[in-house]
Amino acid sequence: MAAVNLGSDNSQEVDLNIAPILDCFVVLITFLLVSASFLSLGVLDAGISAAGKESTQTQPPPVTITVEVLRSQEVVVKLSGQSNQTLRVPASVTKGSDGKDVVTVNREALTAKLGEIHKRWPTVNAATLTASGNVDYKSIVQTMDITRGVIPAVLLGGF
Amino acid sequence: MKRLFNRKLGKRHEESAEMSLNITAMADIFTVLLVFLLKGFATGSLAISTSATLPEAKAETPQFEALKVEVTETAVTVESQPAVPLASFQFKAGEREGNGSSRTLNAFLKKERARQLTIAKANKDVKVDAKVLIIADQRAPYETIKSVLASAAVNGYTDFKLAVVQRE
Repeated sequence: MAAVNLGSDNSQEVDLNIAPILDCFVVLITFLLVSASFLSLGVLDAGISAAGKESTQTQPPPVTITVEVLRSQEVVVKLSGQSNQTLRVPASVTKGSDGKDVVTVNREALTAKLGEIHKRWPTVNAATLTASGNVDYKSIVQTMDITRGVIPAVLLGGF
Repeated sequence: MKRLFNRKLGKRHEESAEMSLNITAMADIFTVLLVFLLKGFATGSLAISTSATLPEAKAETPQFEALKVEVTETAVTVESQPAVPLASFQFKAGEREGNGSSRTLNAFLKKERARQLTIAKANKDVKVDAKVLIIADQRAPYETIKSVLASAAVNGYTDFKLAVVQRE
């Protein structure tokens, strides 16, 4: 009588074939790598200042702040209202990686100037940003970014 | 002795013919990479297709949908459709109207707005949105940006969002 061995010799060993899974992974990873953007993108809120009007305020502010960016990267801050002043912030000159001079808006000086103004007029929470037509968009955004650090609402003017 | 040697040699040769590639480690790496990329793909709602260099600023991560208007050196595109040709970021002569907006871009945005209104009328769950996302190259002059903003404002897109690269 033959012995039927139904022991461990006939235990079902299923080998998981992961080759198709890896195929899918390779395709998915390739697609995602191609479509991925490794830049962190953000969004700045911008409003238009029409005829010098500021953002929603029940009472008119004591002073109106206008920040004007010049092509030379110099910034002119004008106050009008209870105080009439014109403050100039010279541009910042640094050395680029190629040894050439890089002229940009002076972040520290402008922040300090706006900080002084905001300290004197804490109820003012909006400013108008203007520039001549030939100023590049980069300078506008940089100045807006610096101004937003001190004064929350920055409206684009010159319309 | 020689037979034993050959037998051993043969056996080694037989063993070396069967080589199994251990791809478990590769599957682990792929799984981690895939999870990371899927997470980035899901949260990145702002997908920029243009080659424009965006300016840097400290800004919030966008979590909304808006009408995308891109300003590059050669054209202004609305939702990836070319709307107005530009020459070195400048509109052609005669393109601007009295209020500073662009004639051709006005027509494009008017059509887009009419489409949105039609959809909103047909579907009460869809609301007409005033948001417009401006994706402009940092070299674009303010004059061109103003014209684009004026065109958008004239056609009801008054909530401006400027796309920037996050500054650390």
